[in-house]
Amino acid sequence: MKDQIQIKRERSLEEDNQSYFWIKSEGEKKLATENLVPGNQVYKEKLIIKKGVEYRLWDAFRSKLAAAIMNDLEYFPFENKSKVLYLGASTGTTVSHISDIVGPSGIIFGVEHASRVARDFLDRVASYRSNIIPILQDARKPKEYFSVFGKVDIVYVDIAQPDQTQIALDNCEMYLKKGGYFFLVIKTRSIDVTKSPRRIIEEETEKLKANFDILQSIDLYPYDKDHAMVIAKYKN
Amino acid sequence: MYSVILTELGISIFNEGKLEKAFPFSNPVKEYLLVKNKESKLNELINYLASIQRGVSVSDESLLVILKKYSIDCYLMESSELDNIQATKPQIIVDSGFASNLQDTLGKLREFALGLSSSKVTEVSESPDLHIIQAINSLDEIDKIANGLSSRLREWYGLHFPELDNIIDSINGYAQIVLAGKRESLTKQVFEDAGFPESKVEMLSLISSKSRGGDISDVNLAIVQSIAKQILDFHELRKKLEEHVETAMQEIAPNLSAILGSAVGARILGRAGSLKRLASLPASTIQVLGAEKALFRSLKTGSQPPKHGLLFQHAMVHAAPRWQRGKIARAVAAKAVIAARVDVYGEGLNQTLLEKLNIRVNEIGKKYENPTEKDIRKPQSFRREGGNFGDRRREGGDRRREGGDRRREGGDRRREGGDRRREGGDRRREGGDRRREGGDRRREGGDRRREGGDRRREGGDRRREGGDRRREGGSSKYERPDSNKKRKKFGRR
Repeated sequence: MKDQIQIKRERSLEEDNQSYFWIKSEGEKKLATENLVPGNQVYKEKLIIKKGVEYRLWDAFRSKLAAAIMNDLEYFPFENKSKVLYLGASTGTTVSHISDIVGPSGIIFGVEHASRVARDFLDRVASYRSNIIPILQDARKPKEYFSVFGKVDIVYVDIAQPDQTQIALDNCEMYLKKGGYFFLVIKTRSIDVTKSPRRIIEEETEKLKANFDILQSIDLYPYDKDHAMVIAKYKN
Repeated sequence: MYSVILTELGISIFNEGKLEKAFPFSNPVKEYLLVKNKESKLNELINYLASIQRGVSVSDESLLVILKKYSIDCYLMESSELDNIQATKPQIIVDSGFASNLQDTLGKLREFALGLSSSKVTEVSESPDLHIIQAINSLDEIDKIANGLSSRLREWYGLHFPELDNIIDSINGYAQIVLAGKRESLTKQVFEDAGFPESKVEMLSLISSKSRGGDISDVNLAIVQSIAKQILDFHELRKKLEEHVETAMQEIAPNLSAILGSAVGARILGRAGSLKRLASLPASTIQVLGAEKALFRSLKTGSQPPKHGLLFQHAMVHAAPRWQRGKIARAVAAKAVIAARVDVYGEGLNQTLLEKLNIRVNEIGKKYENPTEKDIRKPQSFRREGGNFGDRRREGGDRRREGGDRRREGGDRRREGGDRRREGGDRRREGGDRRREGGDRRREGGDRRREGGDRRREGGDRRREGGDRRREGGSSKYERPDSNKKRKKFGRR
């Protein structure tokens, strides 16, 4: 089994940032990140050791960022030392992988409002990983976040609210640095069930255009139905 | 130019960018929250500020309020200054001596964030409404399990003593008899202990001596008996839960339970997530909580929206004639949401709410005493009713016995309903034709309208089929019920 495992560093658009890996496991090419806390599992994902380095498989069905990578994401600004504001941390599946990527000198501010999932987020992820600062607050009130400082390189938004785009924009205005990247997961079904998903994605993308350059828009099918990921860059 | 800056780890006073004085928190999470809630005393800080006797700018609104309370001359910083603080916060913390270097700052900030988040989780977990939600959900879960287990018990013990199934409605009594063991060991005393009347005891002893059932091995009997024991335990637990929900609801949501009753109120509360969130919902949402599937179907396809979700379980809605239910559900929901708001933000029990609701419901009852033409024609979902009929058959316990009569009447009413529905089906058919003509007429109009006409035509046809199906469904249902007859026979005793 170990012999089958191959690791290939994936090239991102600009440069080799060595942030995620393709690992061959069970005959399939799978995504993985290098485990920041060796031996620690977050969501019962598989751990694979190769050449003394431990990798965590990254399940595209559970993490929308992984799904976007599987569906040919072209821009991947998450790298060592990145500073990330993550809205909608939930139980921390995706956050844990970003935490792997940004490493000990990066920072992730994980914002989550619902206390039930925040419990799991704290227990499984935030308390083990020194680069995560958990914030239990409503993303609608970015002014009241304690413990956030400076501006961040990337804002990642995955919240299921009808007005999610506006919430995201308010947060970007306060915390995203100029030229920073913006990842927006659009859950069309939580915005309006009666409209067609495609139209909602167009409408929401339109709202970004005043302040952002849209880089890419990805349909997350088959990993998530009626979901899209929009990647944009904050205008200077 | 003095500025007072609040950070997560303490409060510091700067003068022209240089640190004047720092007041570190000994327990950052606790003290920071005190400041934010404007409950802090901050004696040292205030004494110091009073001593310098100069106007100071403050970085935080809550802090500003506290200082003003002690008549310190102060004002809020401008936003550019605030942005600057935000950007250089780790540096400020180091400068104030709250941490030794930037790396240390980061660690301390993270510790602070973890502590704060944990305290929030703890706080939320303690709120009593979450416990009520768990209790009512457990209750529903237990019902489900006990019902399934009860029918299994009847099947299994029925191999040994098949006649018992038809004689004893109450699963409690049934389980007690099973616990007594094999048929041979069922004495009169057992039946009496299980709480049956004399006439029934006579009959039971008679039947048990000449039962058609086979023998049951000791191993099998032991298992069956432990199932029976489980069912009795569940019954106990259910009673406890019911009482607990009742008292807890009275305590945290007296108004809501006055309007909805504690069980329905608790279920609605469970759907909403918390009492606070329930209080912030619109009444229209509460009206259809629990009917999400139907609601979204309606939003998507334009079909009839649901009249009620969980509110259907409310006595007023449930007992009302079909054509009044929507109106009553709306009235109940409207009062329920006000009740929830009084529970969260007001105080005590407000009697007038319930009185007003009663007046309104009476009004509806009078005004809409008879169904209008439209009400009769309204297609109603047959499947749902049928489903309930089947599911409820084995419903456990004394409730079924009490319910027996009511249900019997219900059966009759439903049967009449069936006839009416059958007529309705025909009328609907005519309706379909009429609509078809309408479609033709409309076809003379624009393109769009023509499409509309066609669609409507299809609709008419579909509805026609629907009518037929409903008719078949109706007849098969009313000819089937051997089981029903049986229950009637014994139910009367």
